[in-house]
Amino acid sequence: MKLIKAIKWTIGLTLLLAVGMGYASEKAAEPVAEDTSWQFHDIVDMEFVAQHVKIPMDENVMLIDARPRQTKYDSGHIPMAVSIPDTQFEKMTDRLPKDKNLLLIYYCEGLDCRLSHKSAKKAEALGYTNVKVFAEGYPKWISAKGHYPSVSVEWVKKQIDARTDMVLVDSRPRRTKYDAGHIPTAVSIPDSEFDKHIDLLPQDKDKLLVFYCEGFECKLSHKSAARAIEMGYTNVKVFSEGYPAWAAHLKSQGQAPVAVKAGKNEGSIDIAEFEKMVTEHPESIYLVDVRDPDEFATGSFKTAVNIPVDELEKKLDMLPTDKPVVFVCGTGARSGEAYYMVQDLRPAMKNVYYLDAGLTLKKDGSFVLKKLPE
Amino acid sequence: MKKWIVIALTFVFVSSAIGVGFAMEPTGNDRKGKYTYRKVYKACMARGEVNSETPPVSPIAKTQAEWVRVFEAKDFAEFGCAPEWEALTDEDLLDIFTYLHNYAADSPAPATCK
Repeated sequence: MKLIKAIKWTIGLTLLLAVGMGYASEKAAEPVAEDTSWQFHDIVDMEFVAQHVKIPMDENVMLIDARPRQTKYDSGHIPMAVSIPDTQFEKMTDRLPKDKNLLLIYYCEGLDCRLSHKSAKKAEALGYTNVKVFAEGYPKWISAKGHYPSVSVEWVKKQIDARTDMVLVDSRPRRTKYDAGHIPTAVSIPDSEFDKHIDLLPQDKDKLLVFYCEGFECKLSHKSAARAIEMGYTNVKVFSEGYPAWAAHLKSQGQAPVAVKAGKNEGSIDIAEFEKMVTEHPESIYLVDVRDPDEFATGSFKTAVNIPVDELEKKLDMLPTDKPVVFVCGTGARSGEAYYMVQDLRPAMKNVYYLDAGLTLKKDGSFVLKKLPE
Repeated sequence: MKKWIVIALTFVFVSSAIGVGFAMEPTGNDRKGKYTYRKVYKACMARGEVNSETPPVSPIAKTQAEWVRVFEAKDFAEFGCAPEWEALTDEDLLDIFTYLHNYAADSPAPATCK
């Protein structure tokens, strides 16, 4: 009897458990309502963004990259976008327009990225009335045919320092802009002469090409980049902030142009000043030893590069414009010739000097300077 | 009459001053002159008249007095490349003269090779 009772209890409990489990599994199968409260209420698509990405950018629109700057924005962002990382929002509100009715479009790293939504909400809380989020963000933008990334000044500097295998192209007019100052290692291919200098582009279509011109207002680098993509280049970027941002960056890094004291003769550097510079701050000037290679081999300044005067004309583009260039030789004859060559062929390059003195250089880099007879 | 004599004397003085421009201590820019001198032959080679960019006559090919005579007479036949020489301005010629004169064979610092 007891056994029958025990069996009944067991069956009853089993049934109860089965019903309970069934209910539970039924509950699990029911879709859980997704929490979308983190999303911003006004989402736009790529077509909308494409309408507003113009060069120069419409004054009534600001496109804002809410991603982290160093890891995302620097190496690739939508052209004309400014960087206001969501984590830095409160610190960077001064970057937002004063007119709170202007259109702000935020984006970040795609549909799962919440940064642009968070920033948009913060902007709205500040009183901005026309805020949108391009939720599909950068991945969607860059996947479209013909689109290319823009890169930051920090990224460009990093590539130059790391000697990345790339071709940096200055798309501005040569005489008035490039010759007056350009980013080191850049080649001059003015957009207006793109076809004429096409041979300066690499044969390898996968090689990294970076175009720049005169800043956010300048279309030239974008036009040239589009041409390069049409030609089949697959790794094209534009440094949209361009040369003004480069010059400002150098200044902020304490690398503002070094003031050079001129010597008595036209184009010459003051001899005492030169001696002080090469002794105390040799990196502050770009020293070019224009003697022949066999003479250079017997000794020169440790920071000097050897460009014999006979080869200088072909290598004028190598001369940097971010620091003074000083030509040296044994007597001032060839260095003077080099100076006048620059005056003749790159007249816009103003920060150039030559050493008008007797100079004896030793193998260990030490030197003796002698004033020449008048 | 007196006025005419003064004018004539002034003319003679100015003419001789110009004439001896090359005879006096050179006042041009020898550094620039060296570049301009070599540029003449670069242009000449580009035109196809000569085969080398190197100027055919070195400063030490003549004494200072000989350079003065060449430039006073403006006789540049031995230099070849006549169109390029004719295109030079007086300032260019003075700079080239100053360079050649300052590094002449009997100068304090005769040009060696460069």
